[in-house]
Amino acid sequence: MPQICLYFQLHQPYRLGDFSVFDLGRDQSYFTDKKTNQNQAIFQKVSLKSYRPMLTLLAKLVADHSQFKVSLSCSGVFLEQAEQYDPVVVGLLEQLAASSQVEFLAETYYHSLASLYSPAEFKAQVDFHTQKLQELFDHTPTTFRNTELIYVNAIAEEVIKMGFKGMLTEAVPRYLHGRTLTQPFRSLAVPHLPLLLKHAQLSDDIAFRFSNPGWQWFPLGVDRYLDWVEVYGESELINLFMDFETFGEHQWAETGIFTFFQEFVERFLAHDWNNFILPSEAIAQAELQTELPIYDVPKPISWADVDRDLTAWIENPLQQDSLKKIYELQDAVLESENQALITDWRKLQTSDHFYYMCTKWAADGDVHAYFSPYDSPYEAYRRYSVVLADMVERVW
Amino acid sequence: MLTVDPTVFMVGWEYPPHNSGGLGVACEGLTEALALQNTQIYFTLPYQHSQTLGHVKMISCVDDCWQTPTARPPFLAYDSTPVNLPHETPTWDVASLQALPQSELEHRVDEYATVVANQAQTVSFDLVHGHDWMTFPAATQVADESGKPFIAHVHSTEFDRIPSGYGSAFIHQTEYEGLQRADKIIVVSYYTKHILVNRYGVDARKVEVIHNGITPIVPQPLSAQAATFATRRPLVVFMGRLTSQKGPDHFIEVAQEVLKQQPDTLFVIAGQGDLYHQLLLTTAGQQLTASMLFTGFLRGQEREQLLDRADIFVMPSLSEPFGIVALEAAQRHTPVIVSKTAGVSEVMPSALTVDFWDSAKMSSTIVELLQNRQLRQRQTTAQLQELESVTWSKAAIDIKKLYRRVFLG
Repeated sequence: MPQICLYFQLHQPYRLGDFSVFDLGRDQSYFTDKKTNQNQAIFQKVSLKSYRPMLTLLAKLVADHSQFKVSLSCSGVFLEQAEQYDPVVVGLLEQLAASSQVEFLAETYYHSLASLYSPAEFKAQVDFHTQKLQELFDHTPTTFRNTELIYVNAIAEEVIKMGFKGMLTEAVPRYLHGRTLTQPFRSLAVPHLPLLLKHAQLSDDIAFRFSNPGWQWFPLGVDRYLDWVEVYGESELINLFMDFETFGEHQWAETGIFTFFQEFVERFLAHDWNNFILPSEAIAQAELQTELPIYDVPKPISWADVDRDLTAWIENPLQQDSLKKIYELQDAVLESENQALITDWRKLQTSDHFYYMCTKWAADGDVHAYFSPYDSPYEAYRRYSVVLADMVERVW
Repeated sequence: MLTVDPTVFMVGWEYPPHNSGGLGVACEGLTEALALQNTQIYFTLPYQHSQTLGHVKMISCVDDCWQTPTARPPFLAYDSTPVNLPHETPTWDVASLQALPQSELEHRVDEYATVVANQAQTVSFDLVHGHDWMTFPAATQVADESGKPFIAHVHSTEFDRIPSGYGSAFIHQTEYEGLQRADKIIVVSYYTKHILVNRYGVDARKVEVIHNGITPIVPQPLSAQAATFATRRPLVVFMGRLTSQKGPDHFIEVAQEVLKQQPDTLFVIAGQGDLYHQLLLTTAGQQLTASMLFTGFLRGQEREQLLDRADIFVMPSLSEPFGIVALEAAQRHTPVIVSKTAGVSEVMPSALTVDFWDSAKMSSTIVELLQNRQLRQRQTTAQLQELESVTWSKAAIDIKKLYRRVFLG
């Protein structure tokens, strides 16, 4: 009965290599280990497990069912690495981009936190990303999603200035005040910027809980999941937003995630009254409504961790000072007009670097540890600090 | 006078390459120099030493039960399938000794004494020479059973390691008993002699100061100008265990002051220890990211490179019996600033000394040096001159004299 809006995120950071004090000032790469290229190895591994099989499955569903629709957001650093390490992935994305059933979203090229630190840098990175989508897929995005679905009232103003029609973010109970999340909202500051809010419960059932044997609904079957979805009425919108890597990487093929997804799509579409909808279509529909409820978010939110706030990236001194230092370099780096330096500076803004430095080890610690290439948040900080010291020298 | 050179039964605790600090380095320098002066040495270690050495006879004093993995599955005796226990290969080295909890360490020291005493019965010697408290129970037992004189060598005391004075009661007691029992005591500085006399009530006449030496380096090290990394900013280095004794937290405080006057200075902390995470958090909290870098524990070439490259070496220890690393820095043409509570300046008086707690003075001293190349050069030259007489062979001559006196009663 309801409409389902799917959005999957594709992103891989440039992780720091073993750059040491003894490499300072010696033009060494920040992002490759001396013996191996860990970023290449990780990309190719994830590609085999997730990108290739899931993109192939999506292409098949798009071809077989004209009612199936899906939106994707690929960070610029993901697309670069795909071109370099596994061009097959770019080919599959190109194929999907040619279909009107697939929408690509806009985001910051470097998957950064620039929206919180520098409006000018934020806009620059969003522009780069749009250019990359045009160049690779001849696709001009109209819907915006910020890094990790980060949102706060002020960001809406920047997003509308850049010409986007609507935006995706998280539904956070403390700002919903009991209102249903299956409807479009609008920004407080910008009345004509519709917001689509993630359905965390139904999204995380797939993204996080699907293969957890300790979960009361394990193993999750399509019947049960359809029951949960079809509870909602015709006019309601269910936004299932998650990492693309959910399929095949966070949840391995052995868990049955691929067959679950395919069967779910096919059985959902078997009923005429069920629909998939693209974010741009949901936003166009919302624009027709006279009065959208206001989503007032005075403090930044995100889709991460239990608290859905920024504490995964900006909480402890390690993270705060690293972020402060990288953005302090902005003017000097940009004025240098040294393209290699500017690119390195931007790659160091990728949110993952700060995520690895997180020292919260409560309910979310296991998730952070899973994603981090380092032994500890302290090692993530130690390396970042050495690299920053090198960057400082290059600016002089 | 002895007609023949004495044979020494030396009880050790660590030896390069399996050393965690200065104790191992000192034992190596001393035994090499003594051997050159015709001293025959048996040297015991609480683990299997991996190399064969020409100048000493190594005796591994490992208790059988240390080698048995403690995580052995229970009821093994009831299992009919034969199990290959990894009994043959020793699993203990100095790293695992370091990691032992306090009570385990005390226990290990105790068991070491028994094994060492057993081994001592298989060889003949004229003197027993033990290095630091971990070896005192063993050396005491060997001396008691053999009737030979016992020389205690103090490289560091519990009052240095835990400057608050609230160190382990067991270790204090072991140190006290060992020092009382010893026929003679060698200390590495007057600073340490002072501690023994004032805090352990040791008779000053029993204590002989014999400073550590240093092995000359060939070829001559690279000058700071010829270094190939971090060449564009002044570099100030701390190298040592990250414990409160060594004062790394003071180093961060000082860095903050220096950066106010000389913002391009780069600080590097090399070493590991229990303060590591706290120091990283303090660094970030004081907004010193990218100005204060950490390398972890360095060995060999990297260690040398860093000392070569350093423009200033700082050792802000709260209490430092000697501090060989300061000599190594001086050898590598780096001006040295040490705290007043460090023994090393007794042999290298040109090293600048500042109270460890006086961050203002320490930082102004650093800035002055950084801004004055001539001053740095003058100090480097003076340090190098002083180093010429700081040798292990000199230390060995003094030790041999002491051996003779003890031997003759």
